[in-house]
Amino acid sequence: MLAFLGSAGVIAALIGSVLLVLRGARLARGGEADLKAPASLVLAGALVAMAAMQIALLSDDFSLAYVANHHSATTPFPFDVATAWAALEGSIVLWGLVLAFFTWVVVRRQGGASDRLGAGAVAVMGGVAIFFFGLMITVANPFEVCVDALEVGCAGSSAWPFAAVDAPANGPGPNPLLQNHFLMAVHPPVLYVGYVGLTVPFAYAIGALALGKPGPDWLRRSHRSTLVAWSFLTLGIGLGGWWAYEVLSWGGYWAWDPVENASLMPWLAATAFLHSGLVQRRREMLQAWNFVLVISAFALTILGTFLTRSGTINSVHSFTQSAIGPALLGFLVLVLVGSFTLFAMRSHLVSSSPRIESFVSREGTFLVNNLLLTVYAFVVLIGTTYPLLLEAFTGTQVGVGEPFFNRLAVPLSFMLLLAMGFGPITPWRGAGAGLLWRRLRVPTLVALAAGLLVAATVTRVGWVILAIVLGVFVMGVVVGLLFELAGARASKSGRPVLTEARAVIGNDQPFWAGQVSHIGVVLVAIGIAFAANLPLHAEVELAPADSVEFAGYTLVYEAPFRRDEPNRVVEGARVGVSRNGVRVSTLEPRANFYPGVTGGIITPAVMTRPGGDLYLTLRSLEDETIELGLDTSPMIWLVWLGGLTTATGGFWSLSTRRRQREVQPEPVLADV
Amino acid sequence: MSERVRNGAFVAAMAVMAVALTLLVSTRPADVDRVEEIGSRIKCPVCQGESIANSPSPMAEDMMDLVSDRVAAGVSDQDIVDELLGSYTGAVLLDPPASGTTLVLWLAPMAALVLGVAVILWWQRHPGAGSEQAPLPVERSRTRLVIGGVILLFAFAGIVVVASNSLQDRPTAAAGAAALDGQDLSEVSNETMEAVVAANADDPQVNGMRLALAERYFDTGDYRSAFPHYLVVAEDPDATTAEAITALVRLGWMAFDGNGEVETATRLIDEALAIDPRSTVALYVRARVRWCGAGEVDEAIATFESLLADPGLDRETKTRIESDIELARDGGECP
Amino acid sequence: MTGRVLRWTGLGVVAATVVLAVVLASRFGSDPGLVDSPLLGQPAPAFDLPGLDGTEGVALSQLRGDVVVVNFFASWCPECREEHDDLVATSESFADRDVTFVQIGYQEDAAESLAYLDEAGRSAATIYLADPGSRTAIAYGVFGIPETFFIDPQGEVVGKIIGEANALILGATIDAIIAGERPGQQITGDTQQAPDT
Repeated sequence: MLAFLGSAGVIAALIGSVLLVLRGARLARGGEADLKAPASLVLAGALVAMAAMQIALLSDDFSLAYVANHHSATTPFPFDVATAWAALEGSIVLWGLVLAFFTWVVVRRQGGASDRLGAGAVAVMGGVAIFFFGLMITVANPFEVCVDALEVGCAGSSAWPFAAVDAPANGPGPNPLLQNHFLMAVHPPVLYVGYVGLTVPFAYAIGALALGKPGPDWLRRSHRSTLVAWSFLTLGIGLGGWWAYEVLSWGGYWAWDPVENASLMPWLAATAFLHSGLVQRRREMLQAWNFVLVISAFALTILGTFLTRSGTINSVHSFTQSAIGPALLGFLVLVLVGSFTLFAMRSHLVSSSPRIESFVSREGTFLVNNLLLTVYAFVVLIGTTYPLLLEAFTGTQVGVGEPFFNRLAVPLSFMLLLAMGFGPITPWRGAGAGLLWRRLRVPTLVALAAGLLVAATVTRVGWVILAIVLGVFVMGVVVGLLFELAGARASKSGRPVLTEARAVIGNDQPFWAGQVSHIGVVLVAIGIAFAANLPLHAEVELAPADSVEFAGYTLVYEAPFRRDEPNRVVEGARVGVSRNGVRVSTLEPRANFYPGVTGGIITPAVMTRPGGDLYLTLRSLEDETIELGLDTSPMIWLVWLGGLTTATGGFWSLSTRRRQREVQPEPVLADV
Repeated sequence: MSERVRNGAFVAAMAVMAVALTLLVSTRPADVDRVEEIGSRIKCPVCQGESIANSPSPMAEDMMDLVSDRVAAGVSDQDIVDELLGSYTGAVLLDPPASGTTLVLWLAPMAALVLGVAVILWWQRHPGAGSEQAPLPVERSRTRLVIGGVILLFAFAGIVVVASNSLQDRPTAAAGAAALDGQDLSEVSNETMEAVVAANADDPQVNGMRLALAERYFDTGDYRSAFPHYLVVAEDPDATTAEAITALVRLGWMAFDGNGEVETATRLIDEALAIDPRSTVALYVRARVRWCGAGEVDEAIATFESLLADPGLDRETKTRIESDIELARDGGECP
Repeated sequence: MTGRVLRWTGLGVVAATVVLAVVLASRFGSDPGLVDSPLLGQPAPAFDLPGLDGTEGVALSQLRGDVVVVNFFASWCPECREEHDDLVATSESFADRDVTFVQIGYQEDAAESLAYLDEAGRSAATIYLADPGSRTAIAYGVFGIPETFFIDPQGEVVGKIIGEANALILGATIDAIIAGERPGQQITGDTQQAPDT
């Protein structure tokens, strides 16, 4: 029954998508068509499909092969809900649902018969939807019925919903790594909103190219969706890092793993696109850049899905190898070939945008920013895909890992930090040296002083000092600018500076929201610099009642413990943590044993303090003797705070009231 | 204070602080732990992408111990890495070497940056043609769009087909060489193996695959399909002794079990015994055939008992023979 | 003019994409985890290891002149259990033909390996060794078990089996080596990297 419902939902959504393409194309050519009905059909179909999946999971309906293979009756809430996106077929359902929502939003914003650009965008969204719902009906069908049950799980399935069901009594449950932390329920949906959201600006861009109407329209109309996508993508990447840190037993939050890279690449392209789009909306420049960036951002989301779902690269995340690889690759090729062919055909229109008058200007810094972010994305791309390509061409295997990426990412990141300091204070069109000097001199001084302070008191490691100096520089620039503008208004109006500051922010909320994001990035950079350069590490073996001194703490191994939970057995050690004789915390590094899985999944114990985290990992537990890995992550909380701040900036920009958005804000003062 | 003096003060302060910082800051961290540094460049071969310095797995620890020992013995960084490379392959390096096939990874980012700057500068110097060019007339561009769309669909379909073919045909495509060099036989289908075997009929090295195929048929009871393959191997003068014996014994068993031909079976197995009179499997199967087919219980028991005396017997076979002896002693029917 | 440049750039991207895509597509169906051993054709790494039961061990150099079959195993590896009987049997059947089997415990306490052998059975013609610190496993570039290496009488590594072996393959490979051939690397199935996986 649920299989039928789910498949019906998918088919309905597919039909709706086809209608959207046909009608959208007709509208774009000047005809008449109703788009709302097909869009509602797509959304309804996607909702029904997800509902069917969730009902099957929550009611332990093992007649669905997906449920039989990935769910277990003992999986606790919310992991049973999250099982919907724990494996390939289910995650496509989630993708389809998010896509249906975005499509519906685009249709709602489409302004009737005269809005050909909107219609074109709808047609493109429909095309993408056809692909994903098509996947669900063919190679990645989540509603296949189990026709050949094993004791646990399903050996064979059929796409026909009314096939003779042979359901197993239970399933193996989701991969234990995915049951360890509540973030599993949250991280994928957030990330998917980010990925799928980038379809919207892509759709508008293709619509604009197809209709031969480049110009700022497509940007303005898709800007909010881009912001939503970017903000969620930022949040998703941050959550992913936090999850890795809390769950995976090596205290790492970023390993340049292919799946992590798959989320970073579109983020870099989307960030460049956000900035560069600003220039086009303001001054109609950088058009070619914007098309290339948005196409790349969207293509990178598809590439990312291809890399992680096709088994082409082995990584911690690759849980699947299936026939979806060729389909995704084919779609990626279609997107790239189609978009760039269209771009080539319309190149004469795109090439006519005005040129930048001076590189020492806001436009100039954005251009530099584009370049840096594009090179950054390119570096991550070749590092991730080169081993693949090399092996395909020559059969030799090479490894490309952290050292390679860090070598390039660190200098690029520092250059970007520097750019973040210059960009906001440089006026549009051109800047006098005097103005720049006046705005930079105090922040530079403060930054150097901060660096000296940290070098004298905390640490002398070069990378950390550099991060502090640049970070304080950026923050100083932002604060300085705010008070400069507020001060100028206050001396004219007589009101207090702080009130004027609020007015300054209110007058150009998107700009200041962007500065909040910059500060977030600064915090991330400083946090990473500390955590990467100053951690402490030790490996110890302890018997009960043994203690060890580490990082200023006294750790006492009190006793081992064992807990029986409905879906697993937990074994670990209770460790008391004290500082200066005062008991501070009790930590329980442990291993989780799931039925049917050999070996335990290690969950570290993390204690968070302002100075940094204390991180205990259980290596082994035998006859009450434990081997423990001890780590510190100094200032790691800055990374999480920074990530949250960066995303907050994006969300805050979204909350700009409509009236404000329509008024072109004053360019930042170009002074004498 | 005039502007000039103020600026001067700022610059002076900045200069002083910058110099102080550079003096204070250490460009090299206090102790460069050579072992950690080398370890961070080696990928743990039994983990997913972690370095041996970071991985908690015991194998990584052992490898770090090795690196420690070498460092203590004064071996250079590069030599330690080369030693590990000689055992594993380039896949165990986390940092691609700056030479050969991975040189491009080192050059490409710089090249991209330089190219980007060049493009930007060039773009500045060449203003666009302006919008005087009228957009293409709608009909012509629509035709092009349609043609382009059709080409795209073909490209899409082509990619999907090529990729799907690779998924299935990979073994066949490389079958000739790959099968003989070592391929993951467990995933190769019967049909594919038949094709390979047929294609390489003259090559004695394919007998291994031929036998494997025949064994598959044998295991599923498909004696008819297994028969010709066993026959080829049995009659092949270039087959190895192990292969020939296996083939003959299987042929004998199939003759008995499938057709009830006791004498034929005995003859075939005797041929195997002519090659190796002490072959355990030949002796055992012959005894079974004589017992079940010709009722020669005592000879069977004697053979079984002499087989039991073989020290190299694995436990499963041993148990089976023991139970056979029991059954035979009880005068029971042969199983 | 810049329009033309943009056009050609766009078409260039298209062409590059198609080429790369075809290359990537041809990668499907091949397992990305396979590695070729650089030891093939090289002198076998020397080892001098103690016996599993603590008795005096054996050095590889003492076996020069024999075909040496070196198999890495552990009790936590199911494929190793599957191939064990065949290893024992083949070891026996080649015992007096200058072929020596050596089985080395991998990533496991000697006591556990011994207990496993007690249960699974031994061959009198096989030498069972322990590998403290995994030095030999590292020297042989073991990625996972079971892996079996074949060393010819001149001391060169001429064959390797990745995955579960069986009597047929073992026998065929040894016969080939005795006949002076170099069988190379064969993959018969999956290997297991660690007890947890």
